[in-house]
Amino acid sequence: MNVAESLAAIERLNPKLNAFLHVNRDAAGVSGAPLAVKDNIVTTDMPTTCASKILRGFTSPYDATVVMRLRKAGHAIVGKTNLDEFAMGSSTEHSAFGVTRNPWDTTRVAGGSSGGSAAAVAARMVPAALGSETGGSVRQPAAFCGVVGLKPTYGRVSRSGLVAFASGLDQIGIVTKTVRECAELLGVIAGHDPADSTTSSEPVDDYAADVDAGVKGMRFGVVREAVEKLEGDVRTNFEDALRVLRGAGAIVEEASVPTIGYAIAIYYIVANAEASANLARFDGVRYGHRSSRARTLRDMYFESRGAGFGAEVKRRIMLGTFALSSGYYEAYYGRAQAVRAKLRDDLLLAFNSYDFLLTPTTPEPAFKIGAKTGDPLSMYLSDIFTAPANLVGIPALAVPSGFSREGLPLSLQIMAPHFRERALFRAGAAFERETGYWKKAPAL
Amino acid sequence: MKITPEEAKHIADLAHLEFNDAGLQRMAAEMTKILTYIDQLNAAAVGGAPPVGATPLRDDVARPGIDRDLVERNAPAWRDGHFVVPKVIE
Repeated sequence: MNVAESLAAIERLNPKLNAFLHVNRDAAGVSGAPLAVKDNIVTTDMPTTCASKILRGFTSPYDATVVMRLRKAGHAIVGKTNLDEFAMGSSTEHSAFGVTRNPWDTTRVAGGSSGGSAAAVAARMVPAALGSETGGSVRQPAAFCGVVGLKPTYGRVSRSGLVAFASGLDQIGIVTKTVRECAELLGVIAGHDPADSTTSSEPVDDYAADVDAGVKGMRFGVVREAVEKLEGDVRTNFEDALRVLRGAGAIVEEASVPTIGYAIAIYYIVANAEASANLARFDGVRYGHRSSRARTLRDMYFESRGAGFGAEVKRRIMLGTFALSSGYYEAYYGRAQAVRAKLRDDLLLAFNSYDFLLTPTTPEPAFKIGAKTGDPLSMYLSDIFTAPANLVGIPALAVPSGFSREGLPLSLQIMAPHFRERALFRAGAAFERETGYWKKAPAL
Repeated sequence: MKITPEEAKHIADLAHLEFNDAGLQRMAAEMTKILTYIDQLNAAAVGGAPPVGATPLRDDVARPGIDRDLVERNAPAWRDGHFVVPKVIE
């Protein structure tokens, strides 16, 4: 797909899906592979809104490090994709600029928060897109849209120019149709960056080197505590996926990660505590929305933030502020960090016995638009299988694993130890080769 | 953990967020529900797992900043190379 074909597909399909918030029509003359970027990654040639009214009209004075690397490698950034406001959500319904619809069923959500990136790739508007992850925001929408989604190891990809949500968990991720494309793109964006002190100096691997090597003799652990409550099509599909891996020569056994069920509870303290601090910068002083009626500085802060932020962002700032407040810090933030440390130890212990750990990517396929907006907690539980990788910093890959009886995409999640992305792609590509679900495109 | 509307108001003040009364009531109820779910962390057996490591910091060395003309482009109010805000001292 070239840039002109991509722009034409966006023109035709975006009114139906609302996957893009900005389209760069000036890219028409650029040669090179088209690519989309989530609208919380800053670019100098298009606005960056984070799908928030508080950043309406904002254009960054600099490019994110990943954007500079993509441009240098000859990619053309054709547009910026929709998201839940400040990447806080699992359905893209919390965008201030309208929901992104699922290309397989437009009455359903595309997932989130990188719903625009996943829908854009699934609908063949672009061959690849960048998203961002804090608790599953690339893998969960990739699962809902039937495409490949990668969360790299924490520190593998520079966060410079990714608008911060929870700096200790955030990581830029990749959405593609196939595992090989994902591996190749990681090679472009990965690596140490002086502008992000949390990037690793671990050498950038040849990530696509083993994609044809197969999984014969490799060891996969099925996380018992995650899968014992699976139901319906997700359970059947997951069991089918295990059979496929065994058929390809893999050793598939039951593994135990006793604390994995605490991931969402840990996540909503740790992530929101960091978010409450990171989002303090949006105060109407230097950029973004400023209340015009405020007479004092204090009123300006309260009114600008009150009007500029949506309900979910406020909810998370409130929870994070609470968790860090005097009298509750130890009981909530301290406790969450202690259980997080145990979860890390449990996962790393399991990796002593297995090359990979397996769960479904999501506990259910894409839900109907509006089904969970009235119940924040049930929305949060969409990320129950994806959040552990963020809390521990390990890489994880979502690979299409078939369809539900309603024709909705389902997905297998493969997790690997820190910096083992090359092995992750090897496993994902073997599964993809055996199944070939990526070849099926939604009818639009 | 139960959060009252008064406690929600205190947290909103700390967070510089404006809510009306109905908004505070709703926020208190939602926070109560979410924190009750989070309270299951008290049941987790954590043993003596060493804490999650500290964030590596860059060297504290001055670097060039962003060009002022570019900063001005996004400023809600700007005069003589500075951001303008409402009066702080009467």
